[in-house]
Amino acid sequence: MNTIVCVKQVLDPEIPPAKFKIDPTAKQVIPPPGVPPVISVYDERAIEAACRLKDKHKGKITAISMGTEKAADVIKHAIAMGADDGFVLQDAAFENLDSFGTAYVLGKAIGKIGEYDLVLCGRQAADWGAGEVGSILAEMLGIPVVTLAADIQAADNTLKVKRIVSDGFEVLEAPMPCLVTVSGEIGLPRLPAGPRMMMARKKVVSVWKASDIGADSAKLDKANAHTEVTALTVPTRKTECEIITGSTPTEAAANLAAKINVLI
Amino acid sequence: MSPVSATYWGLPGYIIFWVLFAIAFGVFLRRSYFLYRLLRLGKPERRSDRIGQRAIFMLSVVSSQWCALKTVGFTDLAGLGHALMFWGFGFFLIGYVIIFGVDGGLGLSLPPAFEALYRSILDIAALFVIAAVIVAAIKRYIVKPKRLEREESPKEKIIMALLFTTMIVLMALHYGTEALKYSAYNISPSPIIGGLLANSLTSAGISPATLSATYTAFWWINYVLLLGALVYAPHSAHLHPLFSPANIFFRPLGPKGALEPVSAEETENFGVSKLQDFTWKQLLDLYSCTWCGRCHAACPAQLSGKSLSPREIILNLKDHLLEEGPRLLKGKAEASSKLIGDVVAEDALWACTTCGACIDACAVKVEHVRRIMDLRRNLVLTQNKMPETAQLMLRNMQSRGHPWAGIQSLRLRGDWTDGLDVKVLADGDTADTLFWVGCTGALVERNVKATISMTRVLKAAGVDFAVLGEAETCCGDPARRVGYEFQFQMMAEQNIETFKSHNIKEIVTSCPHCYNTLKNEYPQYGGDFKVVHYTQFIGNLIAQGKLKLANGLNAKLTYHDPCYLGRYNGVYQEPRQILQSIPQANLVEMARTRDKAFCCGGGGGHMWIEEQSGTTKINQMRLDDALKTGAEQVVTACPYCLQMFEEGIEHKNIKDSLKAKDLAEIVEAAMQPSESKGAA
Amino acid sequence: MDNHKGVLICGEITDGKLAPVTIELIGLGRKLADELGEQSSALLMGSKASGLAQEAIAYGADNVFVADDSLLDQYNPDAYTQIVAGVCQKALPSIMLLGHTDIGMDLAPRLNARVGGGVAMDCIALAIDPATKLLASTRPVFGGNAHATMVSKSARPQMATIRPKTVPPAARDASRQGQVIPVEGKVDPAAIKVKVVERIKEQVEGVKLEDAEVVVSGGRGIGGAQNFAMLRDLASVLGGAVGASRPACDEGWVPARLQVGQSGKVVSPKLYIAVAISGAMAHIAGCLGSKAIVAINKDKDANIFSVAHFGVVGDYKQILPALTAKLKELKSA
Repeated sequence: MNTIVCVKQVLDPEIPPAKFKIDPTAKQVIPPPGVPPVISVYDERAIEAACRLKDKHKGKITAISMGTEKAADVIKHAIAMGADDGFVLQDAAFENLDSFGTAYVLGKAIGKIGEYDLVLCGRQAADWGAGEVGSILAEMLGIPVVTLAADIQAADNTLKVKRIVSDGFEVLEAPMPCLVTVSGEIGLPRLPAGPRMMMARKKVVSVWKASDIGADSAKLDKANAHTEVTALTVPTRKTECEIITGSTPTEAAANLAAKINVLI
Repeated sequence: MSPVSATYWGLPGYIIFWVLFAIAFGVFLRRSYFLYRLLRLGKPERRSDRIGQRAIFMLSVVSSQWCALKTVGFTDLAGLGHALMFWGFGFFLIGYVIIFGVDGGLGLSLPPAFEALYRSILDIAALFVIAAVIVAAIKRYIVKPKRLEREESPKEKIIMALLFTTMIVLMALHYGTEALKYSAYNISPSPIIGGLLANSLTSAGISPATLSATYTAFWWINYVLLLGALVYAPHSAHLHPLFSPANIFFRPLGPKGALEPVSAEETENFGVSKLQDFTWKQLLDLYSCTWCGRCHAACPAQLSGKSLSPREIILNLKDHLLEEGPRLLKGKAEASSKLIGDVVAEDALWACTTCGACIDACAVKVEHVRRIMDLRRNLVLTQNKMPETAQLMLRNMQSRGHPWAGIQSLRLRGDWTDGLDVKVLADGDTADTLFWVGCTGALVERNVKATISMTRVLKAAGVDFAVLGEAETCCGDPARRVGYEFQFQMMAEQNIETFKSHNIKEIVTSCPHCYNTLKNEYPQYGGDFKVVHYTQFIGNLIAQGKLKLANGLNAKLTYHDPCYLGRYNGVYQEPRQILQSIPQANLVEMARTRDKAFCCGGGGGHMWIEEQSGTTKINQMRLDDALKTGAEQVVTACPYCLQMFEEGIEHKNIKDSLKAKDLAEIVEAAMQPSESKGAA
Repeated sequence: MDNHKGVLICGEITDGKLAPVTIELIGLGRKLADELGEQSSALLMGSKASGLAQEAIAYGADNVFVADDSLLDQYNPDAYTQIVAGVCQKALPSIMLLGHTDIGMDLAPRLNARVGGGVAMDCIALAIDPATKLLASTRPVFGGNAHATMVSKSARPQMATIRPKTVPPAARDASRQGQVIPVEGKVDPAAIKVKVVERIKEQVEGVKLEDAEVVVSGGRGIGGAQNFAMLRDLASVLGGAVGASRPACDEGWVPARLQVGQSGKVVSPKLYIAVAISGAMAHIAGCLGSKAIVAINKDKDANIFSVAHFGVVGDYKQILPALTAKLKELKSA
């Protein structure tokens, strides 16, 4: 079973709120110094899903990541977990692409890789968190897509996916080749075992540019972007705790309930 | 006169004597060779370096019985008993060789005076042996101290009972044979007790013929019993008399706290999953265990109710080796039961805090911790199995370079220097002395206070030092202790490169785990730096007059020895000297102190791995030790210990009676006011 | 792009009625359409669709597209994509809105890819930029640490999924008039590649701590395992998970896997309610990413109040049951 996993390297989401700074002009987050980027948490789970399928059905896992040269680290991480090979997609033209542009680049890379039975993505990126690229990519590749997978089983040429919904699960069947986005409910990703860690460490990850994957510059032109960010702001965080009172504990509780009800 | 010189059923006694000897010795050798071949199932290991040093140590420790005597305490005199048994029996062994050489027809003869003298020594020795055996039996069967608490199998019960009985019987036979000999043949001079017994036999009016016949019978019984003991020794599971001196000879000579890296040739099966994965030395440990249970009684996991017993691991593995040995020697690669799982439970492996109390307590130098680590390595590196809390910690090590998952939401590791006038090394900077803070000291709020105290102390003493700030990553100890060896290796190599890039010569650290790793384990990867723990460093500063602790501290203190500083690296005196140099500091010792200190429960990955549920918390047990001293403050020099104490104090709700302090904080408070003005 | 006009709400029908989020969206659509001076339409799918068309009009839709096909009664990704894309390509709305629900989360990106517009997901605010007349959608990013505003300059339709309960429900006016337009064409069975085989409703018990939107956490002050039942009740009403600080786990009152803190799980729910938790930094480290932190503690000086947004000082045993009851009441309203 041949699987391609799309992984993204993101700024570490785990930083003190006070250190979260943005550049409003560039509409980017300023990475705090000394904090290395990490693999997007759901993408790591996508790799885990791929590894579980490989454990059962054998086959090949290829990881791809669109990013800077540091993205080689997430490819290595994928290999340490169980991927067989991986590529970084890096080009000046790939910077600041919107979801459509990103899906386009990933789709071109997948085309270059060749045959596959399954494409896996995280359900959303840990930074911008839109949750679109997977579905757009599937549409571009012309394959079915199932989102928010908590479990994936394969039998013959069909995939059985357990999908998260707000009040439980759905079980869907999709023919392969298809794309699945993976949610956190799939469980903890495996810790790379000894031999694979050594293998991944030694790996030299290939980098593909726009020309390597045959990307059309018109599709990458920012002027043709489907969406763009016009503002990035940090909402002011209230650090003053509003103490809610009442003449009796019950009343205080009721007042608190009213406040909570608006929040969620 | 010698029973051997007589003829029995037409056969000369000599023939019978030597044929029996040959048979017995042959069986003994055959079995011993089998046991040796079992050892050869293990992997090679180089323990033949410094042979002279090893031999001298072994001979001196065994003959002086220091191995047993070092275990003696007010409540545990068994070591003394063993020494008496050993020397007593040692004399007997020599005696048997001499006397059988004489009686056995080798043509040796002893002057009667010498023989009487030697027999007198044996008479007295026999008393001690009998007394020691009786006391040992009382201890084992009636008193049953914690360390002898054990579900023994019927076979084991028989072995011990046989051992005790045999020794008493041999002693009785000694007296009996002696009395009969001296009374039958009226030899003079006679040995002290033997002579008395001989007199009573003579005065009982038994005929010399009867006496000499009985003597002959007793002599042969004694001989056969001895040969029987010789044959039984390697066949019983109680092998320490045969093998423990060798174990002492082959003891580890490297730094106590250092674990060995995974072999570079290994590509698939890491750590130990079957007997053949152990080294021969680790298998020798299994024979050498004396069943004394001191490791069991010293283990904080065991004492707090966990399923881990160091002794059980050793003895279960020994049984496993003896059971599976024949099959494995025939060439079958797999044993019939799983080592991890059937013989040793996974739970037990994860309960170990690597405190080293077991190793210290062991009279015959069995290496328990290394074994547990090898089994952990297999679980983690090959089987990919570990507690979830350990996994979370390790994943954080991989992605963020420190074990404190979640804490980056509060602070980054370079943040502690904010507002302090501390030199943070940038690319290209060099420094002679590096203050290595450690992950806990940089990230966990309570410990950051101690780090800041330390910084102020260093500055007050005018030390020219630098820190790495956010460029510091974990030393790797948590990864190594949990068995995740490759992560450790990567971090070690990375850190060594960082040190070299800044031309660091000396590293001072607040954390004993970092201290142990940087000092004893980094050399395995080419890191050769002078590493000092801050207690040693501050001690030097005081000695050089650069630091004066003049502010009195009017409090009763007790000092807790961190396992990685004390037991592993022998640093006991320096922290105490610092505390004692503070005016009005009233330092009291806990009952379990110095090398007998009870672990705080934080080592071996246990700052993150949950303790087995339903058991007592190790840190609370240690706090009880502190409370018993009546101290107001428990002082330590390790961030894990400090964390464990703070957590325990919070849990037991004793904030008003006991405070936990880091030694650096005490030193800062004790510095003369004028000195601290110049500090950060 | 020039011939795209109006707002289209992709509606949902639950339990035979318009879904609450659909009512909110129709209201929002009305507002946006008025600002643009254009029409607002709704699309309803399924066998109940025709019967609810008038309702949609009453809430503010000028037109209601009805796809009356029983194959659309239950959500099927391929079927819905086909029908909605078809309507979109016919009606050519300038703006298309969906709720950020199970359906919306799944459908919107596919639709976006199929029809070629631009989409902003999980928005908390929508506005028409007065100068450009573009739809500006604001959504939380970076775990809620920042808000991003997005526009689609040229791609049409401008799509957005809106987080439920961020806009008020539309006002109902039974006298409103509107057009009901049946959607031509049925679902093409050949287009359905993905089949829903089973639907399993689960107890809230199953909500994983790390993924829960609401976490109700208990600390040492809870005092005992049985008292955690109160937290479970509250969590159940809020559709959340129960967590705990380390002392509570150590005591064995709850399993260790529920521990939130620097050595436990790191959670960042929309709402974190810390009950009888002192707020040791070790615990705070695990929940500081929460959008809103509420503290209930006897001790007014407890550290938890320095990081909480709201709090009540008092005995949780008196406050929690009343809180749970009141919330239950408010939610069913």
